[in-house]
Amino acid sequence: MALIELRDVTKTYKRDAIEIPVLDRVSIDVPEGEYLGLMGPSGSGKSTLLNLLAGIDRPTRGSIRVGDTETSSLSERALAGWRARNVGFIFQLYNLIPVLTAFENVELPLLLTNLSKTQRRDHVMTALGIVALSDREKHYPRQLSGGQEQRVAIARAIVTDPRLLLADEPTGDLDAKSAGEVLTLLQRLNKEYKKTIVMVTHDPHAAERATRVLHLEKGTLVEQTPAAVGG
Amino acid sequence: MKFIGLVLKGARRSKRRTLLTVMSVAIAVFLFASLRAVLDGFNAATEASSSTRIVTLRSTSLFFSMPTSHAEGIKSTPGVQDLTWANWFGGVYKDPQYFFAQFAIEPDSYLRMYPEIELTPEDRKAFLDDRTGCIVGDGLAKRYGFKVGDKITLQVGIPIYGTRDFDFNVRGLYKSGGAAVDNQSMFFHWKYADERSIQPGQVGWFVAQISNPDQATQVATAIDEKFANSPNETKTDTEKQFQATFVSMFGNLNLLLGSIALAVVITTLFVAGNTMAMSVRERTTEIAVMRTLGFPSSTIFLLVAGEGLMMAIVGGIIGVSLARLIVTPDLMQAGAFIPVFGVNNANAVMALLLSAGIGIFAGLIPATMASRLKIVDALRRVA
Repeated sequence: MALIELRDVTKTYKRDAIEIPVLDRVSIDVPEGEYLGLMGPSGSGKSTLLNLLAGIDRPTRGSIRVGDTETSSLSERALAGWRARNVGFIFQLYNLIPVLTAFENVELPLLLTNLSKTQRRDHVMTALGIVALSDREKHYPRQLSGGQEQRVAIARAIVTDPRLLLADEPTGDLDAKSAGEVLTLLQRLNKEYKKTIVMVTHDPHAAERATRVLHLEKGTLVEQTPAAVGG
Repeated sequence: MKFIGLVLKGARRSKRRTLLTVMSVAIAVFLFASLRAVLDGFNAATEASSSTRIVTLRSTSLFFSMPTSHAEGIKSTPGVQDLTWANWFGGVYKDPQYFFAQFAIEPDSYLRMYPEIELTPEDRKAFLDDRTGCIVGDGLAKRYGFKVGDKITLQVGIPIYGTRDFDFNVRGLYKSGGAAVDNQSMFFHWKYADERSIQPGQVGWFVAQISNPDQATQVATAIDEKFANSPNETKTDTEKQFQATFVSMFGNLNLLLGSIALAVVITTLFVAGNTMAMSVRERTTEIAVMRTLGFPSSTIFLLVAGEGLMMAIVGGIIGVSLARLIVTPDLMQAGAFIPVFGVNNANAVMALLLSAGIGIFAGLIPATMASRLKIVDALRRVA
């Protein structure tokens, strides 16, 4: 059984009286452990698709199931709880909280759990260890490079040990070297830690790291290509 | 508890803005507590008034005097046990800015009828024996450094007492034994003032001791009837009513001070609310990120509201502490009019509750804004 099952998902936005179709009857299955790349031009609906998978947006029609949960039918509050337990989200612009240290940023999702302070510390240090930033736990985001910030953001995404990692252009704001490190890290999380990853990207080199790449155009799935590298 | 760190970090984001917000609440709370202290002081004096003392004034106003011949009429009224009288002197010590109240009293009877004026037997005797002697409250003595044996010279403040300065010998420092008498005043012999008055034999007010407090109204009516249709008609009230009349000379203080306090509090509410709304607008993306991480909207609401509440309470503590330090008879020269002047515990608690109220109400709209934020829209604004 696939970890993610999208069935005939349609999404339209309303701007004043005008309805703007973004996704049109998209159906995708993502097996557990897959590293899926989503490509497509701007406005093709890839980020919208990612938001729907993350449960931060709702489909206009169709259903989304992740694991045993029909996320499209959950209440706002239930959806927030589900996100906290099951999804790690990686943003293009890292989106770390500037007044919190690397440690505190990574600890943030754990504040929603019942873990003790010691347990939280163990989890945070493990996550920072995975992204090789244990020595930067007391640094604030402004004291880190872009690549390091994104690695802290990845630590934040994995600290609750979610099954699903969603990355929205995770290398879009990085230089080639840092981008390479981040992509290697994501690949490692997929292979070594068996995380299911869905990554939106414009960058064909980034997409090459995925085990499967889907192309979206004007809100519909137009092509399915096996990744050149990965697997 | 684990979210307190987040609240504190949020408040430290813009230290200057947080400081200004805290100080605006502190000033509002300081003003509230200070204004409340004035009202409390007046009320305390009224509440502490004796139920067995009634005060007779000229029916026209406290500013007009009566002849001493009224004394016999009052004393002979059934129910009256004892009688004393006093005048407001209004002298100037060195400079008008060094204001304190001075009363010319009939010393024997006044000290007898006001046991709240606590003197040692030696000081009492020394005062009674010296026609130019005076007694000063220990609070007043502390303020100006008066000691027993000192000489105090007062310039005449009310023309009726001529033009020559009055010299007094400090014969005792009294303590206040109740809120009906403050410790910031000076008392001296009525005769000393009267003999130099260009209109001798005049009294500002009489105070009668009555045997039965339940008959205060009847006795007061009987006194006033005695002087009805005379050139010096009187108005007699209980001491409590006299205090209330005295306070009412300043106008409707409750309304006046209450209006000022309300205006300050509402202004602060808007300032704090606007500041917090600005802070939330600046943090739109962060809030969206936290929501994405799984923070429920209720937690976001509490975090933002908690930040406002914390700033307001810190401001409240600063405001109340300042008020307690500054609003004292020693630092504020209001003791002559307000016997018990200071921020009492009930006032402090009320001021702290007010600051909490400001925090809660100022945070409501920003916290609602933050909790209702649409994650996708907020993230799109930045992307």
